[in-house]
Amino acid sequence: MTPALPDILRGNFMSLAIPGPPEQQGEFMTGRVGVIALLSLLAAQEVERGTQARVWENAAIAAVLAEAADAYGVQYAEIAAIEAADLSLEALDRANAALRRGLIALHEAVEAAGDLLRHRMIVGLYGQMAEKRNLELPPLPAR
Amino acid sequence: MSDLKAGLEAYLSDLWGAPTSVSNLSRIPGGASRETYRLDADTGGVTRGMILRRDPPGSLIETDRRLEFLAYRTVHGHVPVPQAIALEADGGPLDRPFFLMERIDGGTVPSPFVFDPYGEHAAALGRQFFTTLGKLAALPHEGTPIRQVAEAPAPEDCWRIALDHWSGVIEADEQHPQPIVRAAIRWLRRHPPPPAQRVSIVHGDYRTGNFMHDGAGTILAILDWEMAHLGDPIEDLGWAFDPLWNHFDEGKVAGLIPPAEAVALWEAASGLTVDAKALAWWSLFNAVKGQAIWTSAAKEYRDGGFIDPILAISGWYTARRHDVILAKRLAQLEGI
Repeated sequence: MTPALPDILRGNFMSLAIPGPPEQQGEFMTGRVGVIALLSLLAAQEVERGTQARVWENAAIAAVLAEAADAYGVQYAEIAAIEAADLSLEALDRANAALRRGLIALHEAVEAAGDLLRHRMIVGLYGQMAEKRNLELPPLPAR
Repeated sequence: MSDLKAGLEAYLSDLWGAPTSVSNLSRIPGGASRETYRLDADTGGVTRGMILRRDPPGSLIETDRRLEFLAYRTVHGHVPVPQAIALEADGGPLDRPFFLMERIDGGTVPSPFVFDPYGEHAAALGRQFFTTLGKLAALPHEGTPIRQVAEAPAPEDCWRIALDHWSGVIEADEQHPQPIVRAAIRWLRRHPPPPAQRVSIVHGDYRTGNFMHDGAGTILAILDWEMAHLGDPIEDLGWAFDPLWNHFDEGKVAGLIPPAEAVALWEAASGLTVDAKALAWWSLFNAVKGQAIWTSAAKEYRDGGFIDPILAISGWYTARRHDVILAKRLAQLEGI
């Protein structure tokens, strides 16, 4: 996914470290700090769950692609065999991008074939993928 | 003196033909697609409270500031909005394009991501919010300023034009494959909605967080018209209803009132009816549109050197929220 966690954290540093003009102090800077605080909170969640979510998603997509290869072509088995080089977020995301491209192509083929059972299974997978990646914003009080 | 203050003084002195000084110049938080500033402009002892909207170097969405300016001019007097004063499409002394509006003081604009921001005034604000949207849907637009820049689509083409635009944004700006939103786009193409009952002015970003209220139950202004266009007015209803804007209350739309009440108010004010299938289509569409906006935000965040945290939270948190919303809606529509 983009932006990646290192982008966020480096960005937080940059947006605080670069001094703004006088008209961007006060209320604007207060608001900016509030957003950076939220980003930090979400970054903690990503550190806690991001690797696990990616490992799960990559395995889940690979399983769907591998299972569909007999009916839809060997190329899906080849994509399903893609693995991350290591457990860094960057490597997991690189593999995830290839697997997601495969899933998009497979879903298009499934829809074209009217393969309702597999279509429903893929839509169900989307729900799980989205939930695993979800970031929880706390119900902050209005100021 | 900052460059911006000096540029504004030069511009306003020229505009009004009299020496003008600028004070209390201060940027306002939010406004991810335009830099927004408040200022006081003093000419010959007369002080005017103003708002400056200036194009940023990087933006959440690519929009035409002339269109936004003309949208304000069109709806002023019909919908509560500040009066648009001047537009400088070339940027002039401020380097980047901008426009100026009158300032409405004494109001508050809560963040869309806080809990229960409207408290005891939610119902009153909800009634005004959806009645105003219905009135906008009914507003004649032939010969109005916005028609200088916005074409009226045929009623049966509204959905296709909107979907082509936002799916094109995803195609252009996507940096990581997004299977969920792509599945939603295909669903939308396979199940077109009924033609628009009326081609109306569509605000394009009509939601909580884009209106100012007085803290006592009255809406003072509907803001942020940068995505205004002509199209199916159900589009605005679908965006206002999006769960992203519900302030953690699933029983209310925009954290204001229950959806059935909002629909009834809108229908009474617009003279139109809300077809359930049309609303379902435009609701899924709006989640796609949201995902397109967040996709662009992620790209702008990267291209801009990762320094605007609003773009970061848009491209990250809201993108993932909309994946959840899209997946749920797709499952519901498929009976899963």
